[in-house]
Amino acid sequence: MLDLKDLENRSIYIVRETYAEFEKPAVLWSTGKDSTTMLWLCRKAFFGRIPFPVIHIDTGYKFKQMYQFRDDLAREWGLDLVIAKNEEAFAQGVGPKEGKFECCTKLKTEALRRCLEEHGFDALILAIRRDEHGIRAKERYFSPRDENFRWDYKDQPLEMWDQFQGLLGAGTHMRVHPILHWRELDVWEYVKQEGIPVNPMYFAQNGKRYRSLGCEPCTSPIESNAASIDEIVEELKTTKIAERAGRAQDKEKTFTMQKLRALGYM
Amino acid sequence: MNLNAVIVGHVDHGKSTLIGRLLYDSEALPEDKLAEIQKLLEEYKKRFEFAYFLDSFEEELKEERTIDTTRVLFKGKNYYTIVDVPGHKEFIKNMLTGACHAQVAILVVSAPDGVQEQTRRHAFLVHLLGIKEVIVAVNKMDLEGYEQGAFERVKAQTTQLLSSLGYTEPRFIPISAMEGDNVYKPSGKMDWYRGPTLIQALDEIEPEMAGEKPLRFVVQDVYEVDSEKITVGRVESGTLRRGDELLFQPSGVVAEVTKIKVFPAEVEEAGVGESIGIVVGDGPRRGDVAAHKASPPAVTSSFLGEVALLEGTLSRGERLEMKCGTKRVDCLVLEIRERINSETGEVMGKGVEQIGANEAATIVFQTEPMVVEKFSEIPELGRFILAKGGKNIAAGVILEKGI
Repeated sequence: MLDLKDLENRSIYIVRETYAEFEKPAVLWSTGKDSTTMLWLCRKAFFGRIPFPVIHIDTGYKFKQMYQFRDDLAREWGLDLVIAKNEEAFAQGVGPKEGKFECCTKLKTEALRRCLEEHGFDALILAIRRDEHGIRAKERYFSPRDENFRWDYKDQPLEMWDQFQGLLGAGTHMRVHPILHWRELDVWEYVKQEGIPVNPMYFAQNGKRYRSLGCEPCTSPIESNAASIDEIVEELKTTKIAERAGRAQDKEKTFTMQKLRALGYM
Repeated sequence: MNLNAVIVGHVDHGKSTLIGRLLYDSEALPEDKLAEIQKLLEEYKKRFEFAYFLDSFEEELKEERTIDTTRVLFKGKNYYTIVDVPGHKEFIKNMLTGACHAQVAILVVSAPDGVQEQTRRHAFLVHLLGIKEVIVAVNKMDLEGYEQGAFERVKAQTTQLLSSLGYTEPRFIPISAMEGDNVYKPSGKMDWYRGPTLIQALDEIEPEMAGEKPLRFVVQDVYEVDSEKITVGRVESGTLRRGDELLFQPSGVVAEVTKIKVFPAEVEEAGVGESIGIVVGDGPRRGDVAAHKASPPAVTSSFLGEVALLEGTLSRGERLEMKCGTKRVDCLVLEIRERINSETGEVMGKGVEQIGANEAATIVFQTEPMVVEKFSEIPELGRFILAKGGKNIAAGVILEKGI
């Protein structure tokens, strides 16, 4: 096992650097296990109260248990919750049937872009991890996005010895990835160690559980009998199935994830 | 235990293939990964390569080269974070980004091609980064009929290169990443070789235990929580204990640590790498370094550094931003003592006016007052980044302070 204390220390260092170096940071929260862990790390970094807004991108297609979990925890932890929703696209009936690429881009990326414009955030903390996807494995801890929200993955900054790239101009923003070096297994071990609340959808019912949470139409459960955190940890130690196997947007076409991320997807 | 290993070497000598092979043979890949890659290969009409487990950008597949660094976690006796880096000269900044936290470098040298330009440059940079362990994997032995003669030729060449950089006893392993010889599984085709496989060689490495060094605590910020001032930061070396009297520099504050806070609790002491909050009253600020009075941090405003420039030029008299620890200062390039070829390590000129991209140099910097250390003593405060117009352009280490 990797040392959870090392993982945590590094993540907290990055969160504090973000708060010190940027004027208006915010953290993204999908309500899933990774971003809830991210919120927990932020609470630790600032001794209990997160001093910046928590953005939830609401596509309108999330599972109702996710909304419930979000509202309960937001109350308990006193979060400054900002809901980012592309109401216009949702009202026009944009959905996964017309194409997942377009749906993700409009309901997630575009919703986030408008939220940033409205609030003027210059740094977004996100809970992506290298081991989730080959494209995410190529990321930096501090990853700039240009004024058009684009990721210039062919020319990423020099990032050494925890000396991070700063912003490079008006209208640009920084994506900050403090748990980039964690694995799925580490997250669960940490959730257990710290007693972090997680959505009950991760636990098996009738032989199925969700391993990764997203929008209802594009997320499927996996076959599993893991009904507790301990059982999930055991399952992950032997599984040969990829974490995001149940996430349809990764698989529609080849390099979909790269193209989504190049446009500013999370 | 987790060991960071970076795979370096010339273009097409087989770095990504080697890691792909490690993942494949150790059965560390998810079931659908192979099927996903097979599908890709049909679509793009490509032959199977182990490198495609790592090279996940479309451009990397199309151009058959690694553009940016990737890392994967891999389990042998220990956990290894294996870092893949691009071999092309134009991607040196991505190579450094991947390599900077490595404790071990695996230098891949192709048996048919021998030592090439990026073999030399990567070896020089591995040395500059202070990576102490080097393992040489002599790859593509299958193309040389697994013959000892080819291995010995490359070994002689590489030994010469590495000894010029101060690596006296590197380990050499003949491998074929493509065929899987001596990577994860022992080879049956090289009876003349009695040494370990690559994974065994990694398992044998004992990471150097840092001896007890003087305390250095870098200050990131000061928060006010429930009307208590909490100075947050990281212990970079040594141990910090409750009740210690600390000297903060360059602010000059002296204060006693009344609490060490790690939410939601308080602790008695904190060691290397720990991100903590301490209660010391008012005064310290971001960029300060705290230490015990017995081994105080020296404030300096000039030092000699060795720098690798990744883009643009660097001229005598130029002003740049310097980042060291959490300190951000203006600095002046006072004197470029030696211009160094980053491929050969050779000094190309003394007292020069300017250096260019992908060159190295020893430079005397003049800075605002700050705390630095010699890289050989406390590396965490002995390394720095230079930024121009906000962009990180160079990395350096501190050779002498107070020049």
